[in-house]
Amino acid sequence: MLEFSRRALLGSALTAPFIRGAAAQDGPYILGSVFPQSGPNAEYGGVFTAGVQLAIQHMEADKMLKRPIRYISEDSQALPQQGVIAMTKLVNIDKAHWTFAAFTAVSKAVAPIGDRAKTVMINGGAVGPDLSGLSPYFWNVIPLAHLETRALLPYLVGQGKKRFALVYVDDPLGDAILKELTEQLPKVGAELVGSFSIPRDAQQFGPVAARVRQVRPDAVYIASFGAQQSQIIKGLRNNGVSQQLCSYSAMNLASVGSLPESEGMTFTVQKVDYAGGDALTRRFAEDFRRAHNKEPTVYNANYYNGTRLFGLLAAELEKTNTAVTGDSLKDTLHRVKKFPLVGGLGEFDAQGNMMAAIEVVQWKGGQLVKLA
Amino acid sequence: MLFVQLLLGGVQNGALYALTAAGFALIFGATKVFHVAHGSAFTLAGYVFLYGWTHNWNSLLSSLAAVAVAVAFGVGMERLVYRPIQRHEGSFFTVFVAAFGVSIVVQNLVGVFAGRGFASIDTPLSNASEVLPELFLADVFWVAILVALVMFVALTLFLSRTNAGVALRALAQNPDLLRAYGLSSSRLSMLAFALGSALVAPAAILTAMTTGLNEAVGNHVMLLSMASTIVGGVGSLRGAALAGLLLGVAESVVLVFLETQWASAASFLVLFGFILFKPSGMFGAAVAK
Repeated sequence: MLEFSRRALLGSALTAPFIRGAAAQDGPYILGSVFPQSGPNAEYGGVFTAGVQLAIQHMEADKMLKRPIRYISEDSQALPQQGVIAMTKLVNIDKAHWTFAAFTAVSKAVAPIGDRAKTVMINGGAVGPDLSGLSPYFWNVIPLAHLETRALLPYLVGQGKKRFALVYVDDPLGDAILKELTEQLPKVGAELVGSFSIPRDAQQFGPVAARVRQVRPDAVYIASFGAQQSQIIKGLRNNGVSQQLCSYSAMNLASVGSLPESEGMTFTVQKVDYAGGDALTRRFAEDFRRAHNKEPTVYNANYYNGTRLFGLLAAELEKTNTAVTGDSLKDTLHRVKKFPLVGGLGEFDAQGNMMAAIEVVQWKGGQLVKLA
Repeated sequence: MLFVQLLLGGVQNGALYALTAAGFALIFGATKVFHVAHGSAFTLAGYVFLYGWTHNWNSLLSSLAAVAVAVAFGVGMERLVYRPIQRHEGSFFTVFVAAFGVSIVVQNLVGVFAGRGFASIDTPLSNASEVLPELFLADVFWVAILVALVMFVALTLFLSRTNAGVALRALAQNPDLLRAYGLSSSRLSMLAFALGSALVAPAAILTAMTTGLNEAVGNHVMLLSMASTIVGGVGSLRGAALAGLLLGVAESVVLVFLETQWASAASFLVLFGFILFKPSGMFGAAVAK
């Protein structure tokens, strides 16, 4: 029978945390996400996760890193409170090396947690302009809303739309879009003739449609997300709002495209050429189609890029036997700046925002048609 | 004209709220079970109809399937969840947590099998046309009013003219006396769940046509049903139905005076008003302790 002295047991207990730390250096890289996996925004969670998973498959197939990758998915329900709980678990318990966030309100809620823990957070889905510079460890691989509206508004004004109404969700994203339209529309010779705030859980939009009709807009900008944005489109169209509907990249969802009332919905997305792009982009698109039997969206590409970015940065660090930490990843990002990603060479600015070209598209017969 | 437009829109939504609220009130009044999973019956009925619609079933068959699934869910909850709990200790909190848990499971199962995201039925019934200058009305408005009226007349006749209906009312008032007369409270409870759950099916079908569905749609329905039951007076079917209508009208008409973000809050302002100034509700009896 084995016997342990009290001193040996005490010594073992005291050294246990350091043994775990040493093991963590050799164990898998932990990637964690705070996406909505349930509730009315769960569709996004599935889309984001598909991008992460495909990137991990490719990184493992290419043997990009020396250590394996473990992916942990936490459910934020697209709610800040749930997001904070999920992020706290990821950084404090799972000791994640790299995390993914989405939704403006959730991203703003989790950023201080990642910032304190010096854990990198990647956003490929939220577009609130104030997500730029949120933390040195919070990086955006998606153009933020101010860039999207500045691409969309001149196009629509050029089409003769001068009077805009805004239906916006009462959260940081909606407030940001309201501010942006209020400031930008006069600059392009148009005006905001009405703004209609709606709670996040609102489901009836017939009464809102009546108010929108009253201000006689040429175009109606919808700033919402998830199931609610489809409900708004249907609610407006079914209740006599026949004017041009427009929005931002959140409309790039299969459920929106398949809605008959979405016909003609005009919005902005990142420019990605899946057919004629570089080899990496084509590989992403082909493998995505094979796995999911549908066309990839920019959200798939964004989170693919966010995951691949970790692989590229960690591989750089592995070459010099440098520990993969939030600080070393951040320093490498600022040193290298340009990375081969889906869509082309992704370049990051000093605040960790990836610059990307934006195009104006429209849903037509369930297909995305490029307008400008 | 804005007022008339909002009033008519509110009546349409209120008719649907009235149906779901009456179902909840019927179950709660007869069995005293706080059936939090009532919203799940709504979700299931809506998705079953949607399934039938997208697979080109006959509309009547899809509707019957939706009613059948809602009834099966309600009866299943009574038999498999509430009754075993009540057999042992049956505290309000245990029943509440069990029902809440089931509603989360249903929400996730619907997400897994029907897809996570928005789904709706594309029908000309929900497309409004301008019937008067600045007044838009869809055919679904008349359908909602007609269905609600038919359902309430049928329910009232059932509760007042049939032995089972009278027994159901007796169960709500004095279950011990009911048992003393040799009637089965167990069977009547099942009947209450079946009828209450069946009432949500038309509302779910019309909601799928107007505002669309998502797996979490039942939460909103449940909140409105609870609010309507309190505003109408706990135990009063007529009160719950009228309160549902009132809440629907309130959340629409309030936009004449206030900004759009107050629409949902209007329902709960009405609720707070009743809790503060008339806690027994519209038709509830005041109880002295």
